[in-house]
Amino acid sequence: MIVKTQDLTRIYQLGTSIISAVNRVNLEIRDASFVTILGPSGSGKTTLLNLIGLIDQPTSGKVYFRNQDVSLLTDKERRNIRLHSMGFVFQTFNLLPTLTTVENVELPLALAKISGQLQHKRAIELLTAVDLSHRLHHRPRELSMGEMQRVAIARALANDPCLILADEPTGELDTETGSEIIKLLVDLCQGKKTTVLLTTHDKKVAEVADERYYIQDGKLEYESS
Amino acid sequence: MFFREEIVVVAEGSWVVQAFPVIGENLPISTLEKVNQVEGVKTVVPMVVRFGYQVEAVIQLVPTNVSIGIPFGNLSVLIGQTPLKPGGTWPVVAQEEVVVGPSLALEWNFDAGSKIKVSSKHAYMNLTVSGILDTRSALLSRSIILPLRLAQQLSYGHTMFVNMIIAEPEYIDQQELIANRIEQEIPGLKALSINERNQIVEPLLSDIETWNLGLSSVLYLLSMILVIMVSTMNISERRRDFATLDAIGAPKSTIFRIVMIETALIGLLGGVLGVLLGSIAAVLIASIYTSIPLSLFFADLLAFISPFFLTKIITSTVVISSIAGILSAITALRINLPETLRAEY
Ligand SMILES: Nc1ncnc2c1ncn2[C@@H]1O[C@H](COP(=O)(O)OP(=O)(O)O)[C@@H](O)[C@H]1O
Ligand SMILES: [Mg+2]
Repeated sequence: MIVKTQDLTRIYQLGTSIISAVNRVNLEIRDASFVTILGPSGSGKTTLLNLIGLIDQPTSGKVYFRNQDVSLLTDKERRNIRLHSMGFVFQTFNLLPTLTTVENVELPLALAKISGQLQHKRAIELLTAVDLSHRLHHRPRELSMGEMQRVAIARALANDPCLILADEPTGELDTETGSEIIKLLVDLCQGKKTTVLLTTHDKKVAEVADERYYIQDGKLEYESS
Repeated sequence: MFFREEIVVVAEGSWVVQAFPVIGENLPISTLEKVNQVEGVKTVVPMVVRFGYQVEAVIQLVPTNVSIGIPFGNLSVLIGQTPLKPGGTWPVVAQEEVVVGPSLALEWNFDAGSKIKVSSKHAYMNLTVSGILDTRSALLSRSIILPLRLAQQLSYGHTMFVNMIIAEPEYIDQQELIANRIEQEIPGLKALSINERNQIVEPLLSDIETWNLGLSSVLYLLSMILVIMVSTMNISERRRDFATLDAIGAPKSTIFRIVMIETALIGLLGGVLGVLLGSIAAVLIASIYTSIPLSLFFADLLAFISPFFLTKIITSTVVISSIAGILSAITALRINLPETLRAEY
């Protein structure tokens, strides 16, 4: 089991109103599976992914990452897991605008202290895999949105993580580009046996998964496999 | 300063600035002989000084122009060893010639030999510029120096008055004594030794100092504001990038270093820009204030903004940029990560 949550809850308090953005979620994700969480806007998808991605802290309940209770980890250990064992794909790509395509992919490798030569070699491999070898020295604003998301996928895969967290990766893309991105994720991750947890509000996208969940008002329900 | 060892004699109640009467009564020419007869006075030189101010401008320390009438035989009392710019000659009274200061010459495009017209309500004269003074004195630089007779004609329409007399004491250490003696023996006169003049000028000098302080503050403030503006702008613009770095697991120390270096560099850039803009602003203000043409200031910018001051400003720019860098690095580490990632840009 790569990820397991136990009564995971995240409550926001806005004045007097209390929002359970994630409400007693129990989720188990097997190694090398492709899991999707379908839910409308505001249902708690981002909050849940942030909790699993060690970006946010739960109000109550637990996250286990590879059987390790992450609430016991220091900030440094959490960062290390994010850097080495997880890859993030954001809805809005979050590429660094001042860096070129290849530099964006080299970034997590540099942060992991991989040697410069190896960084470059690996970045080019990854960018070739996402079919962007012709855009190596472009900056994000010179790319189409589909291309930006492909750079982001290459970046997420850079340190060969065991878990990819993709929060509505097709949210900004048209249907066709979106399905290309999903296909790319499926192809790349299945080959390497990388686990993927992907959220979407699009039923079609959710259907590619081995395991499907549905979330509404912070409540997670198992759909099918 | 003018007339170190000489006593400046003016009418009682005159207002004297930089050793020259700015406002006040005139003296009948007979006063000259009276002062000359006071015991201990070696020589006397009569002068007529008129300050021209631009009416629209604020109070000016340096007037738009000054006309000074003096017997050319005594010119050295006024200008000391000041040379003329190449090509000029010292005037010959009979030919109605004048010398002018470099700032005026530049402004009006005068050369040695230029014909100029000078007029007042009493007289209208065609004069010839025989030479341009080579001086850095702000006052002389704005001066037209005429033969006394012409200045009197312009000022009064006749030659029966002057408005100041320079009295040279026989012994320097008797300045105070003789000044007092002149005031006692001749009613209606004010005789100012160098000390007394300094006392009058002091508040004015401190005014200049305040003004200088103001100018440097403008420069200073502008560059500091720019440093801070540029760095905070960069920080808020790049919040999301820092959050991204944070999310993908960059170590805190790396984020700190990136933000700090980036902010400091950008701050430095802002500082350099600020020094440039600030210098221009300061010079503009000073030029408007003193009515000295801009070109004169720019020709000699470094004399106006001292290297010492520049060094000071650049040092503080570096210091402030570094502080801004460290502060923004600390802020960057304290962001609420999920919130910042969520924010729309
Ligand atoms: N910082 C916050 N403060 C208060 N409420 C929040 C905050 N972040 C998210 N929420 C609320 O939590 C709920 C779930 O949000 P989110 O996880 O972003 O949903 P989704 O990603 O499915 O659109 C929403 O009702 C949202 O308004
Ligand atoms: Mg969301």
